[in-house]
This record gives sequence, C-alpha cells and structure tokens, in this order.
Amino acid sequence: MKKIFAIAWKDAIVRFGSSSELLFFIILPIVFTFLLAGGTPSGDEDPRIPLSVVDEAKTSISQQVIDQLENSTAVRPELTTREEAQSQFDKRRAEVVLIIPAGIDRAELQSGSAQMELLQQPNNINATVAERAVLTAIRRVSSSISAAQNAVKQRESIQPFASDEEKQIYFESSLETAQSIQKDAPERVTVVTGNTQDQVDYDPRANSSAGQLITWVFIPLFGISALFAYERQQGTLRRLLTTPSNKATFLLGTISGQVAMALVQMLLLVGFGILVMKLNWGREPLALFVILLTSALAAAAFGTTMGTFIKTEGQANGLSIMFGMVFALMGGCWYPMELFPSTIQNIVKILPTTWAMQGMLDLVLRGGGLQDILPEAGVLLGFAVIFFSVGVWRFRYE
Amino acid sequence: MLKLFLIGIKDLKLIFRDRAALTFMLLAPFLLTIGMGFVTGRFSGNSSGLSNIPVVIVNLDKEQLGNALADVFSSEELADLMEPTSSPDPKAARRFIDDDKAAAAIIIPAGFTRSIIPAEGATSPALPGTPWHRPPGQVCARGKCAPGASVSQNNVQSEPVKIEVYANPTRPTSAGVVKAIVDEFISRVEEGRTSGMTSIVQLMQAGLLNPQDAQSETRKLFENIQQSESTAITLKTDKEGAEAVQFDILAYMAPGMALLFLMYTVSYGGRSILAERSQGTLPRLLVSPTSTSEVLGGKVLGIFLTGVAQVGILILASSVFFGVKWGDTLGLAILILAAVFGATGWGMLITALARTPAQIGSIGSALMLIFGIMGGSFINLDQMPAYVRTLSKITPNAWGLDGFTTLALGGRLPNLMQPITALLIMGAVLFGIAVVLFNRNGIMQK
Repeated sequence: MKKIFAIAWKDAIVRFGSSSELLFFIILPIVFTFLLAGGTPSGDEDPRIPLSVVDEAKTSISQQVIDQLENSTAVRPELTTREEAQSQFDKRRAEVVLIIPAGIDRAELQSGSAQMELLQQPNNINATVAERAVLTAIRRVSSSISAAQNAVKQRESIQPFASDEEKQIYFESSLETAQSIQKDAPERVTVVTGNTQDQVDYDPRANSSAGQLITWVFIPLFGISALFAYERQQGTLRRLLTTPSNKATFLLGTISGQVAMALVQMLLLVGFGILVMKLNWGREPLALFVILLTSALAAAAFGTTMGTFIKTEGQANGLSIMFGMVFALMGGCWYPMELFPSTIQNIVKILPTTWAMQGMLDLVLRGGGLQDILPEAGVLLGFAVIFFSVGVWRFRYE
Repeated sequence: MLKLFLIGIKDLKLIFRDRAALTFMLLAPFLLTIGMGFVTGRFSGNSSGLSNIPVVIVNLDKEQLGNALADVFSSEELADLMEPTSSPDPKAARRFIDDDKAAAAIIIPAGFTRSIIPAEGATSPALPGTPWHRPPGQVCARGKCAPGASVSQNNVQSEPVKIEVYANPTRPTSAGVVKAIVDEFISRVEEGRTSGMTSIVQLMQAGLLNPQDAQSETRKLFENIQQSESTAITLKTDKEGAEAVQFDILAYMAPGMALLFLMYTVSYGGRSILAERSQGTLPRLLVSPTSTSEVLGGKVLGIFLTGVAQVGILILASSVFFGVKWGDTLGLAILILAAVFGATGWGMLITALARTPAQIGSIGSALMLIFGIMGGSFINLDQMPAYVRTLSKITPNAWGLDGFTTLALGGRLPNLMQPITALLIMGAVLFGIAVVLFNRNGIMQK
C-alpha cells in the first residue's frame, strides 16, 4: 500500500513540477466551460433572419417602418450605418440591407416619390423572405396614405377637383377615413403554438459544464500512455525489475494516482459548476461520485491500453490529445448528441465519452438519481474492465 | 540565402518525418472536421439553411382569398423556400405538426373571403369591428355616416374570421417565415380593403355614389384586392451580381480546425530552436560560416513552410474529400501565407519568452486552445460576447477565419485585404518583439 501511494505521489510531483500544468488542470477547463456555456445557442436566441437597416431619414415614418419590422416573425432589424452595411453586403456577410434614405416623411409619401432601397444577395432565400417582411412593414405604415391617394384618384375619375385646395382637403379627409378604417381593422391571423416535443435535450450551461469536465479530465487520463512511454524510454521501468515491486503494484500505483488526480480535478470543476454556473450537480452526491469514478476508471483504462501500443512519449502525447478531442466531440461533449445523424449516434456508443456524458446529463440536466445513471456507470465499468485487462496483459517493461 | 533556405527545408523534412507530429498536425484536425461535419448536418444535407420548409395548407374557405393564399405558397417565387402539402382536415394537419413532420399548418377557415369581400346580394362588406359593422341603415367612419347604406344582417358575424397558423415550436425560424408570408398576404388584402372602403365612403359622403350603386362599386374595387400595390412608398430592390452562393459550413469548420492546429505547429517549430540549443547543434551551426540571421531566418522559414504545408494540405483535403469550393485560388494562397505568417509570429514570440522546450510545449498548447476558442475555431464568433469578439483580434484564427469565410461566400482577393493586412501586421510586430527578446536573452549567441 505504501509503495502504491509512493508511486502515485511521485507521479503527482512529476505532473505538477511545472506551474503551467495548472493551466490545463483547472484554468483552461474553467475558461472553456464559461465561454462555451455563453457561446453555444441555448434555444432562447432570436431565430429571425437578421436584416441590416440603414435609417438615414430618422423621421416618424422611418421609425414606424422599423417598429413594424421589429414585430415581424421572420426578420430581426439591426440598425447600422450605410458604410458598415455596404461593407458587410460586399463581403456577403449581410444577406439583405434595407436603406431608408434621408427625406422620407409624410410629404414625400403624399407626393408618391418616397422610395426605399433593398439590397439583396442574388438567389438568396433569406433575402426573398426579408423582402416580403419589408413589404409588409411598408404597407402597414403607408397604406392609409396609399388609400387616400387612391380615393383622390377615384374621385378625380368621376368629377375633377375645382382647385388644388379642394383636392388637398379631399385628400386629408380621405386620410382620416383610411386611418379610422385601418385602426378598427380586426386581427386576421392567429398563431397557435403546437405541442411538438423538442427532440434535443439541451441546456448550454449543463452541457458545457459536463462536456468540458469530460474533455479536460479524459485527455490527461489518456496521457497515462505518455507516462508509460516516458518511463520506458528513460529505462526507469526496467530498473523497477530490480526492486521488490511487482507489475501490479506499479500499475496500481500509477493508475490510482492518475485517477485520484482526475477526481480532484472533477470535483473542482463540479464546484465551479455549482458555485458559478448555479448547476444542480450536488443533488445526488452518491450518484455523482459513482459516475465520476466510473468515468475516470474507463478513461484511465483506455490510457493504459494505449500505453502498451505506443512507443514514444511524443506519439503518446499527440494521440492522447487527438483521441481526447475526437472522443469528446463525437461523444456529445461539445455539441448535443441529438445533432448527429442516428447512425452516428449508434456508432459512438462504443466511446466511453458518450456514456460519461449521458450519465452526467442524467444527473445535472434531467434531474436523475443513482438508479438512472446505473446503466451508464455499468457500461463505463465494463470499458474499464476490458481496457485494464488488455493493458495489463500487454504491459511490458521494455 | 541558400543556407537559410537549406536550414528551412531541413526543419520541414524533420517535422514531416515525425509521425507523432504529423498525427497532431494533420490527422487530428481532419478527424475533428469530419466530426464537425456530422454535428452541423453537412454530411446529411441539413446545413444549407432555410429551404423546402414543409407546410400544410388546409383551405376550408375555397373562395377567392383562400385560394389566393394557397397559391402564394405554391408559387414559383417560393418554390425553393416552401414545400406545401394540402389537407382537408384541420385536426390531421395539427397532428402532423405535433409529430414534427412540418414547420406549420395554415388553416384558412370557411367564410374567410366573405368576411372581407361582400357576397353577391350584400350591400356592403360585413366586417365586425370596422365602421361597416353598424346597425342596419348606416355605414360610418370616423364618426361620419353615409346615409342610406345598409349592412346585410346575413353577412354580420360576431367574431372576425381568422386564419390559424399552427406553428411547430421546435422550428421557430421556419414557422416564423411561414407566418411572415401569411402576414404579407394579409397586409396586401388589408391595404386593398382599406383603399376600397375609403374610396367608397368618401364618394358617398361627397354625394358622388348612390347607396344603391355601392354594392357593385365595392365588388369592383375588391376584385383584385390581394394584388394591391403600395403607391405611397416604393421599394427599389437591387439583387447584385448573378451568381448565387450557398455557404458551406465546412468552409468555416475545416480552416477553423486547420488554424487551431497551426498554432501547435508553430510552437512545435519554436521548440526545435531551443531543443537544438540544449542539444548543442545550434551553437555548432553558429560557429560554422553561417551568420546568426541566416540561422534564425532558416529556422523561421522552416516553421513557416511547415505551417503552409499543413494548412495547404488540410484546405486541399477539404476540397478533395468534402467538395468545399474555395473560389479565388490566388486569394486563397495569399490568405494561407498571411495566416501562417501571423501564426509564425506568435510561435517566435513564445520561443523568445520560454526557457526550455517543455515550456514552449505547454505555453504553445495552451495558446493553441485559447486562440482556438477565442478565434472562432470551435464556435462561430458571432455567438460570443462582444468582449471576446474584441479580444479575438489578437488571434490569427479570427482574421484567418474571416478571410476563409469571405472566400467561401464568393469573395475575391480585393475583399481579403483587411484580414491579410491584419495578419501581416500581426506577424511583423510579433517578429520584431521576438528578435528584440532573442537578442536580450542571448538565445542566438554562440
């Protein structure tokens, strides 16, 4: 037991010999958790198509058009300058730009010379949708004036006006009538929200906390392979042969030390999740411990097996990070698993990260308990048994 | 100059013989790009944004306006956007949405047209809540009533007849677009109705229209109600260019991963300078008839060429394996050179600041990940807080991705001037600082 502890302690000293290890142990995981929680879509974002609006008129008419656009279910007006809008449009970053030129006011509307400009990227569906939304907004703002203009035309076709003054009076009277009609118009469309169940179980804070915890803990555990390769390259493993320590003691010391460090790292990240991100990690402490421990064991076992196949420390380091990142991505630790095609969702069940993520989400997102995480914990334990068996079987001192 | 080139080529060869380095430089970003392709639906064809929105239309009205609205959704103009199907049963249509088989159902109730356009035999349109909805014998607007005009009791309804948009909450964007198209149709109808009614009321008040003629005049004005065009404000549309560009999400993800692992490459290259120093090969080089600047220049060239090869291979792979179209080849080449130059500047700065190869490894890996998340390699910068977007300007990832996105959207070399200039300035400034630190720390002394 003393030897096992001594080996584990030695590994801890080697790992934390450089203060930069703290970057990877706690600082970067926290930065990533925080940024990904804020940077990934939560589903509460405004889903409407962005529409750049340049308001050079700054009149009540232009404001009414913008207000109408705000009420649109299809576009989200974003006020900007003409230069910025043109630059974004030229770079094709803006799909559609509405320019309300200076001088758009009631007088211009009345004279029929008011014109707005819509820049659209060619054959762009979003731009087509935006055009309809803009037309709706314009109609709603100008329809009373259009109606008054039309009434004047109708009247003129029946009996011409005696003077411009009479025409203007008729226009004003028509405008008042039109506004009154418009004001009393009933709502003709009603929106009813359906009862569709959301297939994606997702909360950016919970997903980020669990996903980054797995990513940053699994990579160093896969790095056990580098530890073996380093000791093999340095010849220290051979020297162990001359001591009264057997293979099991060495492996147990190395692996238990790494697993213990992983548990400390996990608890620190869980603490960050509870204190800063206000996540309910601590509701079922026993279930949490079980899933953290089985996850760490599965990752450590995989690292052990890797260590028996890889020859150099450099290879081991590169492959640990590569496997860690790819497994994390494919295991749903960075983006919700539901985004993958169903075939891929089935294939990635061979990865320990998939089960670790599901288990942790059962706890922190779905409010599950020990019973709920037992299947995932069982699979993770199965991974641990298989990979430890392969690792111990293939382990060589030289 | 030849020596400088030889040193650079030697370092390039060394790195490309290192299988562990190659795994990290090429295989890791390639695999992650494939993973991102799955996440974003690129490989399953679900990443192209709005198109073919499934919508169910239940037209119980079966008259002028109901049919016109149904026609809007099957029009040529919306052919790429909408995928309409019709159903006679509102309940079945709602169930279809609840089962997530379409984005929305549009239920046009019976009598919708008649609630706006007066039927044959009616003297005026019956519109509850409007000035027309008056006791028999009067039609009023803004407190003024046209004498004699009466409202047919048969047409008066207690509630307005409303179109129902039954929206799928899990597809908010698509459902919002469907609602906007219905709104646009209704706005045209409403504009026509307002216009027609205003004319009639005004003519009757002026004594130019008999109440007996009101019905035929109203029907005439309402004939093409849904084809109303606003005369007060015209909209000048400008569809620039002719070529449509469909943004490929992998055109963002593939360079995102390439730039992420480029930071590893440049720090790995910097590590070789300190490794050669500790192994004694650097002082040996410096006592040969090779100047310090040639040695340093050769090492930097080696890092630069490795970076160019790495990013070039990954970008080429994105074209060959995933069919990503990069458009302007010259712009692409210059952008890659500029991005690698900017990143190499960071590599040299790390080398100048570190004391041991292991330190470079740690700082390089940390910087790779920090720049990766800050520069948009993992998540689009538009989704990040404003302060992250501002900070991202110090990363080659952000500028590089800006350029690659512009290229993927059909931009050409002139559109890339801003990111290219920024990357070149970044590289030059960092090189300058690194050289000062190299001299101060005596790294390149014999």
